[in-house]
Amino acid sequence: MTYEDYRDGKPVVITAALTGGVHGKEAHPDLPEAPGEIATAAAACEDAGASVLHLHARRDNGERAFSTERFQAVADAVRDATDEAVLQHSTGGTGAPDALRHEPLRTDPAPEMASLDMGPLNRYERLTSENTRGLVASLHAEMRERSIKPELEVFNDGHFNESLAMLEELDDPPYLNFLFGGGTTSPPHPRTLLNRVEALPEGVEFNVIGFGPHQLPLTTQSILLGGHVRVGLEDNRYYERGELATNEQLVARAARIAEELGRPVATPEETRELLGLRGR
Amino acid sequence: MTEKCHHLTYREAGDGMAFDEARAFCTVTGSFVQPMRADVCNARYGLDPETDCEFYVEAESSPDGSETGDRDR
Repeated sequence: MTYEDYRDGKPVVITAALTGGVHGKEAHPDLPEAPGEIATAAAACEDAGASVLHLHARRDNGERAFSTERFQAVADAVRDATDEAVLQHSTGGTGAPDALRHEPLRTDPAPEMASLDMGPLNRYERLTSENTRGLVASLHAEMRERSIKPELEVFNDGHFNESLAMLEELDDPPYLNFLFGGGTTSPPHPRTLLNRVEALPEGVEFNVIGFGPHQLPLTTQSILLGGHVRVGLEDNRYYERGELATNEQLVARAARIAEELGRPVATPEETRELLGLRGR
Repeated sequence: MTEKCHHLTYREAGDGMAFDEARAFCTVTGSFVQPMRADVCNARYGLDPETDCEFYVEAESSPDGSETGDRDR
């Protein structure tokens, strides 16, 4: 992925991260938590241009859930509400035991894609999501077994090293997701993203997340550099300072910017072709 | 500690918000708890409020054990 891809008008894959696993309705009253709420948001985002839907599951009271059963309920509702969009399940889970981290991969059918956190990251003052190499390897092995495309979550440069070391194990094209924000994510600056992209080997596709106010500028930069974008309330609750957003608004803005900059928004079919997905 | 936090309650309303289903509320911060943090409060997955929650540690180490209230989470 390069600036030449931008000039060639390569389609942009927009991923909508609808819910997340950190905050809930205490942070945004309209953040979708129940399967029906997530499905409604998913349908609106698909209509607005999202071809990938990044999904988390919750309990009835909004707390985190990792079980196959809860992911199945979300996935079933989203499949019913959407036409063709790609479902991507999160396997993230700070503090959760390794066995539970596999459960989102075991829905029927399996998701087409899943996230794969590439190493440790800190949460709050006293929590660390360890994401040991052993866990990364076992999650990746199960993804291969079930024909699930991994999206490698690159929170920082150390995770980038880990990802580069793993490239030969990945089906083409490898798909890396660069995260920018505070703490153990990458410093949120255009220069950081530029350096990362310059270090990417040929043939690797990349996606960009910017947390909070960094979502708009860094995803826009990704479009200019030939990359893809992830937006949504998991990563950013605001449309602009002081104004809460909806998932649909954030997707619509990303789609509008991509089109204005001369890159068409990828349809689900184009996304499957670009990323080498097996089909819904 | 292996039990859920004694500063945890479940409420349908508080801190200027109301919900259909009772949600985790921290009496130290005086606010509803983020879902990720609620797993610490409930001591799920081997997490322990005594060691894994900074608000618990601060509250328990204060001279009079007073709750600080209205803290950023």
